Amino acid sequence: MKGTGIVSGKGDEQRTLVVVFLRGGADGLTLAPPVGDQVYHDLRSNIAVSEDEVLKLGDANCGLHPAMSGLHDVFKDGGLSVIPAVGSEDETRSHFYAQDLMEHGGPVAGGWLGRFLRYREGRQPTALSAVALGKKMPEVLRGAPAATVMESMDTFSLGKKGVSTAKFKAELAGLYGAETSLLGPAARDTLQALDRVAELAKTSYSPEHGAEYGDDSFSNGLRQAAQLVRARVGLEAVSLDLDGWDSHFAQETLIAPMITRLSEGLSTFYQDLGPLMRKVTVVVMTEFGRRVAENSSFGTDHGSGGLMMVMGGKERGLVGTMPKLDAGTLIGPGDVPVVTDYRSILIPELKMHAVCETVGEIFPGFAQEK
Amino acid sequence: MEMERSDEVTRRKFLMSSAGAALFSMSGCERIEKMFLLGSQPGPVVPPSGKGIDLISHALNRLSFGPDPSEYARVKEMGASEEEAVAAYVDEQLDPDSIDDKRATRAVRRFEAIHAPLAEMYEYKEEFLLEQMTRATLVGATRSKRQLFEMMVHFWSDHFNIDASKEECRWLKAADDREVIRKHALGNFSEMVRASALSPAMLWYLDGRENRKRNEDEKPNENYARELLELHTLGVDGGYSQKDVMEVARCLSGWTVRGLDRMLKKGKVSFDPEAHDDGAKVVLGHEIAAGGGETDLDAVLEIVCGHPSTAQYLAQKLCVRFIDDDPSQDAVEATAKAFSESGGDIKTTLRALFSTKAFLEGSRGSKLKRPFEFIISALRGSRAEVRSELALIDYLVRMGHAPFQYPTPDGYPDVASPWSGTLLWRWHFAIALARNEIDKKIKVDEADLIEKAGGVAGLSASLLGRVPTEEESASITRSGEALALLLASPGFQWR
Repeated sequence: MKGTGIVSGKGDEQRTLVVVFLRGGADGLTLAPPVGDQVYHDLRSNIAVSEDEVLKLGDANCGLHPAMSGLHDVFKDGGLSVIPAVGSEDETRSHFYAQDLMEHGGPVAGGWLGRFLRYREGRQPTALSAVALGKKMPEVLRGAPAATVMESMDTFSLGKKGVSTAKFKAELAGLYGAETSLLGPAARDTLQALDRVAELAKTSYSPEHGAEYGDDSFSNGLRQAAQLVRARVGLEAVSLDLDGWDSHFAQETLIAPMITRLSEGLSTFYQDLGPLMRKVTVVVMTEFGRRVAENSSFGTDHGSGGLMMVMGGKERGLVGTMPKLDAGTLIGPGDVPVVTDYRSILIPELKMHAVCETVGEIFPGFAQEK
Repeated sequence: MEMERSDEVTRRKFLMSSAGAALFSMSGCERIEKMFLLGSQPGPVVPPSGKGIDLISHALNRLSFGPDPSEYARVKEMGASEEEAVAAYVDEQLDPDSIDDKRATRAVRRFEAIHAPLAEMYEYKEEFLLEQMTRATLVGATRSKRQLFEMMVHFWSDHFNIDASKEECRWLKAADDREVIRKHALGNFSEMVRASALSPAMLWYLDGRENRKRNEDEKPNENYARELLELHTLGVDGGYSQKDVMEVARCLSGWTVRGLDRMLKKGKVSFDPEAHDDGAKVVLGHEIAAGGGETDLDAVLEIVCGHPSTAQYLAQKLCVRFIDDDPSQDAVEATAKAFSESGGDIKTTLRALFSTKAFLEGSRGSKLKRPFEFIISALRGSRAEVRSELALIDYLVRMGHAPFQYPTPDGYPDVASPWSGTLLWRWHFAIALARNEIDKKIKVDEADLIEKAGGVAGLSASLLGRVPTEEESASITRSGEALALLLASPGFQWR
């Protein structure tokens, strides 16, 4: 029996997938506003992002919100994909239902990331394979072979802080050292991982390449993710939320600071990891986009097609185009159509992260239709 | 839709909180609980004295979720020899009704929601139901004296796996656990498959409810038909073809279940003749005449449950559960024979399995405890007082083994290797439990355990099912934390 390989000696082979969920239905038309589409300005006479201010993505027909200069730089560096008009088969426009649907990967049981970790080929997942940064386990990781809600590095340490476990670990090393079963190598790996985590908890993390994280919880989460990636403890998947995108009312005031936080957080993470970003992919998704026409309280209501972004892992760029927003294209009560299914974006990313022959098991109904 | 949803959530929240209030007001019951926890007088602790795991410890390891410290002595008293004692223990465990289990039953009854009638389940918040169901499962496994029954519940929950996070399984799985898994856990296999086939949760989980043939163009949904053959009965190598899957799907077309969008009788299962393909079919070489209507279901179940591959497949899985990851073929054959000859009687099948040479004389301590089994055996072995199971669920999620949360129909794996990455959380749990650091609601009294077991050596033997080795004893002494180290040690990870 081979070792479980928390630290395989080939740590640089390890890829990490970071899933950022923008809860509340982020407005794709504000994050990546259309360029050269008068209908957008007609239907959003109060809240449209003016074309002069939009950060251009080459000659694409959509750009980025002016508060996203950080991510704009990442785009220019070839590190960011912007995918407009993405969504799921959701028709309820209910946050609860649409989030579940997208995190489960269809009307199925368990989360797609959880299933991926269970069915991907290669070594057994370890205690540090999947981490949810925040307070609770997100649906996307439901059913994972190992997943931990991590509030700080201490989450992983044995025993309460301040009470030594050195003696205890030494005895475990001795007892498991004599173990001829698969638990022998597994214990060795686990002890090494514990040492690394203990070191991380002890020392304060210094970001590299001049990166400076903000002190909001989203940036903090990304900072911890970067720390774990660097520590090479076998981290395969991270889940992280940025809540509060449900902008029915005074949208501009509500989400402008969120957009800044999103862009600053992600671009700092990108800067910090530098060349390591080749092994790290960040996927940004939201349950649905918002209606094209603004409502009477300067906000927008639940819609369909929204935005997805993918950062790092390989050379990136714009994927697809923003559909024209005229009456013939819009769907339902006036929503951006779903041009790209979120799963068709995720599948190649997952395949890049690990060999997984059975995509059908990750996205059951979807693969069958293909 | 949106409005309706949020109204519903509010209503459920309200109901949930009133249910919560009802639980809090049950001070009488809590008092009884307390009496049970503190006042019950377990028998004397006489730890095993063999260098290796003897037959009694072996049986306790395999038939139960690990022994309570006094259990070894109790079983030993059941016969003049180890063999007689174990035979008597097997008899006792195969007759759960003969075991007085009032305390555990009462402890599980506290979780009112999961005992509610089907349609009422929809009144609860789904997270609440999952939590109640999981807690009840943990309480049953830890406290019930009908340990083999609980072990079989554990087995069948994987065999007929339903992930409670899929659509309306959120509300319906609790009824499946009650009416399919627990009702038939030691009953008859064919009856269990029938109950499962018509279980509202299963009709949702494997899309049976959408299996319709109303006109020429409509194609039956094959999902349930395939898993029925591949996972529930014949097994993947059981000798069926794609054609058989399609024919079984035709036979089962028309069965459906009322969803939460209906005003009344939510969760009610019915047969719609208009959606049934009533032509002639051939399943595994057996002809089923046209016009059978809803009786096609029984025709199919008779064919698949009585198929020799089914006996073989079930015997193999049971032997993996109770004997070894790679059980001897003799044991599988003997078990399959008992299964076939008894018409799928689960008690008869188990009795045969427990009489095989492989079970009685084969390797002991060779099955890695899965995380659920590890946690329950630690709680039982340390006589933990558990007043809330919530922290235990956290540990199970971290180790990827929370009940009702396995995402695909094949159920949690029952062999060692997929679980080898769980040591960190086992150690974490062992230390936290022994140091009373899990939370205020879970307590152990290590000093009392050691005293009752007649010393650290006694506690070690009682947890390991054998006398500790010299290395183990020395290590335990050096660590200064006997219970924590024992629970974290390699010896305690195996059953």
